[in-house]
Amino acid sequence: MTRFIAVRLLQAVIVLWGVSTLVFAISRLSGDPVALMVPQGTPPDVMARMRHTLGLDLPVYEQYGRFLWGLLRGDLGTSYVQDAPALRLVLQRLPYTAELGVAAFGLALAAGVPLGVAAGIGRGGWVDRAALPFMLIGQAMPSFWTGLLLILVVSVDWRLLPSSGSGSLATLILPAVTLAWLSLATIARMSRAAVLEELDKDYVRTARAKGVAPRRVILRHVLRNAALPIVTVATLDIANLLGGVVTTESIFAWPGIGRLALEAIQSRDYTVVQAVVLVGTAVFVLASVVTDVLYGVIDPRIELGDVSA
Amino acid sequence: MKRIALLLVCVWLALAGVRAVPALTAAALTIDLQGDPATLDPGKQYDTNSYDVYRNIYDNLLRRNPATSAIEGEVATAWKAVSPTVWRFTIRKGLTFQDGTPLTAADAAWSITRILDRQFNSPQYGNFNTITSATATDPQTLTIETARPYPVLLAQLVNLSIVSAKYVQAHDEPDVAAHPMGSGAYRLVTWLRGDHVTLAANPRFWRGRPRIDEVTFRAVPEDATRVADLQSGRAQLALGLTSDDAATIKANPKLQLLSGPTERVAYLAFNTLGDSPLRDARVREAVVDAIDTRALAQSLLGGYAQPVREFLTSAHVGYDKAIAGYKYDPAASKRLLAEAGHAGGLTLVFTTSPTYDQRIVQALQGQLAQAGINVKIQSYDFGTYLQKIQSPQHDWGDLRFGQWSCACLDADGVIYPLFHTGSIWSSFSDPAFDRAVDAARSTLDAAARSQNYAAALQVLQKDIPGLPLWQVIALYGADRGLRWRPTPDEQLFVFDMTLGG
Repeated sequence: MTRFIAVRLLQAVIVLWGVSTLVFAISRLSGDPVALMVPQGTPPDVMARMRHTLGLDLPVYEQYGRFLWGLLRGDLGTSYVQDAPALRLVLQRLPYTAELGVAAFGLALAAGVPLGVAAGIGRGGWVDRAALPFMLIGQAMPSFWTGLLLILVVSVDWRLLPSSGSGSLATLILPAVTLAWLSLATIARMSRAAVLEELDKDYVRTARAKGVAPRRVILRHVLRNAALPIVTVATLDIANLLGGVVTTESIFAWPGIGRLALEAIQSRDYTVVQAVVLVGTAVFVLASVVTDVLYGVIDPRIELGDVSA
Repeated sequence: MKRIALLLVCVWLALAGVRAVPALTAAALTIDLQGDPATLDPGKQYDTNSYDVYRNIYDNLLRRNPATSAIEGEVATAWKAVSPTVWRFTIRKGLTFQDGTPLTAADAAWSITRILDRQFNSPQYGNFNTITSATATDPQTLTIETARPYPVLLAQLVNLSIVSAKYVQAHDEPDVAAHPMGSGAYRLVTWLRGDHVTLAANPRFWRGRPRIDEVTFRAVPEDATRVADLQSGRAQLALGLTSDDAATIKANPKLQLLSGPTERVAYLAFNTLGDSPLRDARVREAVVDAIDTRALAQSLLGGYAQPVREFLTSAHVGYDKAIAGYKYDPAASKRLLAEAGHAGGLTLVFTTSPTYDQRIVQALQGQLAQAGINVKIQSYDFGTYLQKIQSPQHDWGDLRFGQWSCACLDADGVIYPLFHTGSIWSSFSDPAFDRAVDAARSTLDAAARSQNYAAALQVLQKDIPGLPLWQVIALYGADRGLRWRPTPDEQLFVFDMTLGG
């Protein structure tokens, strides 16, 4: 187990290096941050001087070398726009995204799994028929649309919840529901499919034949075996959630890293873009490692450690 | 599964528990900005979100009268050019910073000196770099020397916020940016980055106690959300609205639409120096004749745009009401194209960026298509766009759309950078134009300046390096209870606002 985790963490470092190099290259292809920082009509020599102070006039390979050396020391550079360490800016905003992400993920799991399981057990029944369009709509509606619709109905028409902002449970509900919507639909569909697959298997028939109570068959046997694909899909959906926070946070003026990323991209604040992507990648990679460990916990037949196989 | 759910709830509670909830008092105003301020240090940034907030914390050396736009004193009470390059300013007596220390000429001098310090790397350096020195001759007198006679000095000093020399020297840069301390109407209470900035009234403000006790600026990037915030009562003032939002605001009896002409002028600029069909003045005239500015302003922008005949508004120094402008004349356009050898049609490249209103770009494309000019739109992200159009090779395409404001209401800040030979924004070169704008920027004689700008504007009218379109009208949505009049320089001065009734 320890060896497995160590190898996975080493792989994570390689992934982080690859991703950071990619982001470094892409951001260098997209224009000059200094041109966006100064008032219109600023003389070119003033801009050249600013580029020099920020190290943006160095050859790209030298900028990359400095970037990697900083990375090794945990220094992701200084924000050009805010004049503060990029990593600190990201870490200041991370708790907000974590709060929103955890709430949305919790909601998606808490509603998606029971919905999918209920639809699977009562295949063709009213729950299944009612849930299917709900899941389809959830998967088809982009979050910026869901979010604006929720604001119009719940905040403007009903005046039940605040339309934007952060700082209280009331402000969390709408963005969390918006962000959860897509994942909820995915998880519900997967749960339904997994339960349906398990229900047809021999051990279920055997359990029923033995006279095990139907509720126990579902909870102790079917769900246990259906858990593996559900956990896989749910973890993969963390990537969707991380992508979804960019639009959701912008719509609801939620001060997390998704919005920070958007602002940084708009102002070509390279260092902050790099820091957001690195932190986001780290979160996703860690979540994958945790899932792999969870496999072993859920299904004792899966042995951890033989990663080379 | 239960255990996982419980764990998730615990993590969420732990995260939510460490955060403060912003408190609101009765006489409180909430303003939705388009983004978070980058910094609250007046020497360090120039973005409007930062300026909208810190302008309320700091006093400026001079200001513009909200009704007339005339320059008047704020921290300075009087000023005089003792020679063409030496200015003396008398500093108002009895001003204090929010920490109780007096504001003197030394603070005003330091506010300029730090921007001129190349190590400080101020984005505003280009606005002040004609100043060679700023010194406090005595506690009440500020002396400014310039490298040459500099007629725009006063207009630039309108944007100069006065910091406490002692305070900024005693604190490091990030500290000054995060904890601003000025002499203005409001003082900082909290700044939660990315979320909101809350300011409280400064009871000792020299112009009297502000009528609004507390103001919260929120960063709300999404246009539709800012409108929803107004509708749901979460905010009382929202900035950066479009003509599409105007109808929603007007339809709501609890809200009002505030609008005001700005000093921003929308224009089309032509590439007259590159390898472009627009090198030919007849083709430029054909393009101009094919564009119906009035129709665009009315139908596309809902009338929230004031067509102009030159690149300046009537509030700019150098404005000449004798300039004729251009008339929509599709027949003349076709004739000119034929004369220039493009009877069979012509293709032009319209270089732009999503930063600009793409509805306008597409509408211009549509109007030109009707005149037989095929327009290919090439859109780049803003950074790349700037790099392209500012390249000295002038290989950026044929035409581009822009909106210009120098925040100085002076022709020197507009037509000089846009059309002077060698300016990074200019793809035009004309010796007579250069002579006129060079002469106008190196004399304090107002009559001579007007004369030179009139001559320069005549060159632009005749040679057509671009087409002035309209004066942009800023739109604000507000609660009916808010009383405030937007100003042409788009200053968001909460001291001038009242709430209630």
